[in-house]
Amino acid sequence: MGSLGVPAHLLSSSLAPSLRTRRNSSTRTTPAPSLSLSPAVITCRICPLNTQGLQCVQSKSNPKPSSVFIPFPKILGVYFAPALVFLVSGGVGCWINGGDVGGGHGGGGGGGGGDGGSWSRFFGFWSRFVCPMAIAKEEESQSQEWDSHGLPANIVVQLSKLSGFKKYKISEILFFDQRRRTTVGTEDSFFEMVSLRAGGIYTKTQLQKELETLATCGMFEKVDLEGKTNADGTIGITISFTESTWQSADRFRCINVGLMQQSNPIEMDPDMTDRERLELYRSQEKDYRRRMERARPCLLPMPVHLEVIKMLRDQGKVSARLLQKIRERVQKWYHDEGYACAQVVNFGNLNTKEVVCEVVEGDITQLSIQFQDKLGNVVEGNTQLPVVGRELPKQLRAGNIFNIEAGKQALRNINSLGLFSNIEVNPQPDEKNEGGIIVEIKLKELDQKSAEVSTEWSIVPGRQGRPTLASIQPGGTVSFEHRNLKGLNRSILGSVTTSNFFNPQDDLSFKFEYVHPYLDGVYDPRNRTFRASCFNSRKLSPVFTGGPGVDEVPPIWVDRSGIKANITENFTRQSKFTYGLVMEEITTRDESSHISAQGQRVLPSGGISADGPPTTLSGTGVDRMVFAQANITRDNTKFVNGAIVGERNVFQLDQGLGIGSNFPFFNRHQLTLTKFIQLNQVEEGAGKSPPPVLVIHGHYGGCVGDLPSYDAFTLGGPYSVRGYNMGELGAARNILEVAAELRIPVRNTHVYAFVEHGNDLGSSKDVKGNPTEVYRRVGHGSSYGVGIKLGLVRAEYAVDNNSGTGTVFFRFGERF
Amino acid sequence: MASSIDDQDDIEASLANNLVPVGPLSIIDIRSKSLEVKMAAQLIREWTGIQQFPAATQDKLLELLGKLKQENVGTLTILIMGKGGVGKSSTVNSLIGERVVAVSTFQSEGPRPVMVSRSRAGFTLNIIDTPGLIEGGYVNDQALEIIKRFLLNKTIDVLLYVDRLDAYRVDNLDRQVIKAITDSFGKGIWRRAAVILTHAQLSPPDALSYEEFFTKRTEALLKVVRLGARIKKHDSLGSSIPVVLVENSGRCNKNESDEKVLPNGIPWIPNLVKTIIDIVSNGSKAIFIDKKLIEGSNPNDRGKMWIPLIFAFQYFFVVKRIQRAIKEDIANENKPIWDR
Repeated sequence: MGSLGVPAHLLSSSLAPSLRTRRNSSTRTTPAPSLSLSPAVITCRICPLNTQGLQCVQSKSNPKPSSVFIPFPKILGVYFAPALVFLVSGGVGCWINGGDVGGGHGGGGGGGGGDGGSWSRFFGFWSRFVCPMAIAKEEESQSQEWDSHGLPANIVVQLSKLSGFKKYKISEILFFDQRRRTTVGTEDSFFEMVSLRAGGIYTKTQLQKELETLATCGMFEKVDLEGKTNADGTIGITISFTESTWQSADRFRCINVGLMQQSNPIEMDPDMTDRERLELYRSQEKDYRRRMERARPCLLPMPVHLEVIKMLRDQGKVSARLLQKIRERVQKWYHDEGYACAQVVNFGNLNTKEVVCEVVEGDITQLSIQFQDKLGNVVEGNTQLPVVGRELPKQLRAGNIFNIEAGKQALRNINSLGLFSNIEVNPQPDEKNEGGIIVEIKLKELDQKSAEVSTEWSIVPGRQGRPTLASIQPGGTVSFEHRNLKGLNRSILGSVTTSNFFNPQDDLSFKFEYVHPYLDGVYDPRNRTFRASCFNSRKLSPVFTGGPGVDEVPPIWVDRSGIKANITENFTRQSKFTYGLVMEEITTRDESSHISAQGQRVLPSGGISADGPPTTLSGTGVDRMVFAQANITRDNTKFVNGAIVGERNVFQLDQGLGIGSNFPFFNRHQLTLTKFIQLNQVEEGAGKSPPPVLVIHGHYGGCVGDLPSYDAFTLGGPYSVRGYNMGELGAARNILEVAAELRIPVRNTHVYAFVEHGNDLGSSKDVKGNPTEVYRRVGHGSSYGVGIKLGLVRAEYAVDNNSGTGTVFFRFGERF
Repeated sequence: MASSIDDQDDIEASLANNLVPVGPLSIIDIRSKSLEVKMAAQLIREWTGIQQFPAATQDKLLELLGKLKQENVGTLTILIMGKGGVGKSSTVNSLIGERVVAVSTFQSEGPRPVMVSRSRAGFTLNIIDTPGLIEGGYVNDQALEIIKRFLLNKTIDVLLYVDRLDAYRVDNLDRQVIKAITDSFGKGIWRRAAVILTHAQLSPPDALSYEEFFTKRTEALLKVVRLGARIKKHDSLGSSIPVVLVENSGRCNKNESDEKVLPNGIPWIPNLVKTIIDIVSNGSKAIFIDKKLIEGSNPNDRGKMWIPLIFAFQYFFVVKRIQRAIKEDIANENKPIWDR
C-alpha cells in the first residue's frame, strides 16, 4: 500500500506514432519544422494514488498524439531531441509507405496525362522522416552568421543564379499560384508543405532540395523558386506553381491497403509505341482493379464518405488541393477516433469518376509483451503472461487496427494491477509485413516484497497539562507486502499500527490480508477474487450519543476483531458482488477501557448510573458471532466534464447464522439508491464546464431478529443527515434517509444546496433498552443547507430543523 | 460497599415499618429479588387503622369487604399514580386510616414506591404509593422505570389515577403522564382504573355551581385520559372510567355519624372503596406485571421466523434485480467507437 505513494512509481508510456518513408532519408537533411504530422511522444503520466487520475493526468501540451503541430522547432528541437533519438533507435512509430515511385512519376504530375495515374509521391513529403541530427544542425546554423547576397537590391534572381557558397537569409516566402494568378496566403494548405521559413538561413543546396521536394511531391504540375534581393542583404523567395488537376469525379471510395504489397509503378520507356503504352495502361488499370478488390474495406464511416463526395461534387475538377483536403479530412477522422497509425498513402484511380483513397490503417500483426529490469534489459518476468494478457482490450490483439485509445485502456488496466513500476505500450512497424504494426508492451516489475516502517512521536499532555518526558510516545505503522506470488498477482499484506510502542496493547490495530485473484483461473473471463483477512478496529459507538441539550453521554467504544473471508466478483470496473463469512468478537468498553455491558446514563441528579441500554447481545459486553455478509453494488456513474452522472445502487446484507453468543439470528439489510441526474446536455471535452446535476438519494436500513446496539442504525451525521452530529437523531432498528442535492457548476468547482431527512420509522423502541429515548433523542430530523466544494473539502452551512439553528461545517470527501 | 450496607439497614428499618423502599438503581435487580423473599416471609400487619374510622364507615367497609370475600377475592392490590403533589400519599393514609406514608408537603418525595399491606379477617389490602411522575416539566422516565421494576411479578387489581379537583386546567403534561402509564402497563389498565380527584372540598369559581365545576373538570380530565391512553372516542372504555372525589384534609366536613363527607354530602371513604370494589368485580382482568410487560415484547424475537423468507425475497427480488441491472448497464455501455 505504502509504496504506491512513491513518486518513482509514476508510469510513463510512449505511444508514439511517427512517419517514415522508405525513401532514403539521408537526402532529406532539410529541417522540417512545419510537419503537420510529426513524431510526437506522449507521456501518459499516471498517478497510481488516484484512480481517476488515469484519465486526467496527461501531458497537456500533447493531448492528441497524432495531431501535434510543432510550430516552434527551436524549442521542440531541443526539448525533444532525446525523445527523437529514442524513437529512431527504438524504432517506435508507424511508418508509412510513401510510394516507391522514384521520381519518375512526372507523367502523373505532368499535366495529368496518364489516366488512372496514381498519386503516391505526394505523401513522401508529409511522411518525411525527421532526423534529429538535422534539427540539431539547424540550431547550429541559425546561430551562425549569414551572408549578404552581394547583389543590387530589388532584382529577381533565379535559383540557379545564386551562389553555392553563401548562406542566404530568407526575409519572406511568397507563393504564387500561376493558374489563379494570385499570391496564396499562409493559411493555404500548400504553405504547410514548404519547410522553409522566413528568417531562416539556407544554402543554395538546401533551396534546391526544397524545390526538388516540391516538384516531386505530385501536387504541382510545375513549380519554380526565385529569389528577390533586398537592400539589407536578405532575399525574399517566391515559389510559383501550377497545381495538378484531374478530371472531375463524383464517387469516392476508401480502401485499406495495409499488409498489401504496394503497387510497383513501371518505368515508362520513352521509346514505347503508343500501342505499347496503351497496353501498359490497361494492364495497370487491371492490376489496380484487382488491388482494389483485394483490399479490405475501411473503417471510415458513411457520413465522412458522403462529406468527401460532397467535396468532390462541389469542386468540379479534382485538384491537388482538393485531394489534400480529402486526405486531411480522412486522416482527421482516423486520428480523432484514435487510429493514430492510420495514414492516407495514395490516391488512385484518378482521372476516372471514382477517387480511390488508399489508407494504411495500422493493422496489428503481433502483440508482444516483454519484461525489463531496472536498467531496461529484457528479462524473463515473474508475472505470468495471461495476467497481463487478460487486461488488454481485444482491439490490441493481432488482426485489429491499432487504436491509441485501446492502448491507453491497456495502460490503465495494466496499471490497475499494481504490479509494475513502468508500463509502455508502443506501436512498432512490422518489418516483415508492410503497413503492419507490432504492439509492444514493455513492463518493469515492482519488487515482490516490500516492507515499510513509519514512525511518529506524539506528545500527550501529562499532569497539569504539561508534557513530560514520559508522555512522549513513539508510535507508528509497520507494514509489509509480498505481492505477485507465483506470478499470479496473489498477495499477502499486513500492517500493524500503534500510537505507543511501549504499551501496544492499548490501541494496537492490525490487518493481515491474503488476496487471491482469478479464482476461476487466469483464462476464465469471470473475474472473481478471494480475500481472507484478519482485522481489528476500534470505533466510538454513535448509538451512545446524547440528543440536543443532553450533557455529555459517557462514550462506549466498540472493538471488533476477527477474521473475514469473501469472494468478490467484478462485473465492471465499478459494479461488483461480494459475499463471504465474517467471524468476529465484539467488545464494548467504556472510556477507561473497561468492558462495559451496559451504556451509562446521566441521572437528573448529575450522578452516573450504569444501567443504560445493553451494549451487547449477550449482556456481558463481549459478543462472538459468525455471520454471512453480502454486498452487491451497481454503479454506472461516469464523469461528464468532472461532474459525476449516473446511478449507484448498493444492497448490503448481514445474515446471522445462529452461531455465537446467544445464538444470534438476524437479517440486517441496507439498500442505498443514489441517482445523479444530469440536468442539461453539455458538450464533453477537456476544459468544458460540467452540467448541473441533481442528486437523489435514499437509504433504507432494517434488521429482523437479534440486534445488538452496536449494529443498530444511527441517524444523523455527515453521511446520514447533515447538520447533526453522528447519531444525534437516534439509533433504530429500521431507518429511512432521503436526500436531494442540487449541484450547480461555478467556475471550476460547484456550489450545492441540499435537503435531507432521516427517520427511525418508530423503530427506536425496538432496539433493546431504547437508546434513542434514554439519551433523549428525537428519532427523526430534517436539515437543509448550502455548500461549496473547494478541492477535496466541502464547506457547508446546514440548518437543522429540530433546533432551527445553522452551523458551518467543513468536511472531506463526498456525501454521496 | 459502605453505602450498600447503609441501604441494607435502611431497608431493614423500613421493612419493620412495613414500608418497602427500593434501593439505588445500580443494585435494584438484586435488591428487588431479595425483597421478594423477605416479602413472603414478612408479617402482614393487622389493619388496625380501620378502627379509626367512624362506626358507620367501618360497617360499610366491612360490608363491602365481605362482599369481596364472597367473590373469593382475598387480596386487593391498589396502585396509586399521578403527578407530584396531588395528594397520592395523603389518600393512602386516609384509606388505611394510619399515617403510614410520609407526606412531603413542600418538597418532592424521593423516587421510591412504597407498598403498604394490611389484613383484616383474612383479607389483605395492598396499597402501592408511587412517587410523582413529573419532574422538571417532563415525565420522569427514571421514576417510572423504578415503579415498573418495583411492580414486577405483582398483580394490580386497581389503578387509582390521582389528580386534583381544584386544578382548573388540563395540559399536555397530563396527557404525557397518562401516556406513560398506558405505555408501561398497557391500555387494559384503564378498565381497572378510577380517577381520583382530591381537594374535593373547594369553592368553585364564581358563576359556577359545584356540580357544574365537577362535571366540567371531570370531562376535561377524562378527555385527556382518553387521548393519552389512545382510547377511541366510541370505546366504552372511555366513558366507563369512574371518577371519585376525595378530601384528605382534616378540615373535611363531617356528617352526623362523624364520617368525612363531600360537599354533596356523600361520605367519600366508603364511596371510594365501593368504587374500587365495583371495578374489581366489573369482569375485567387484573393486570399482572411480568417482565414482558415491563420491557415490552423482546423486539429481537419479533419476526425471527420470517428471516429465511426475507432472505429468499432479498436474493430473488433485490440481488437478482441489481444483477440484471448491471448486465443491462454492461450492454448499454456507451463504448467508444474503437471498442465496438
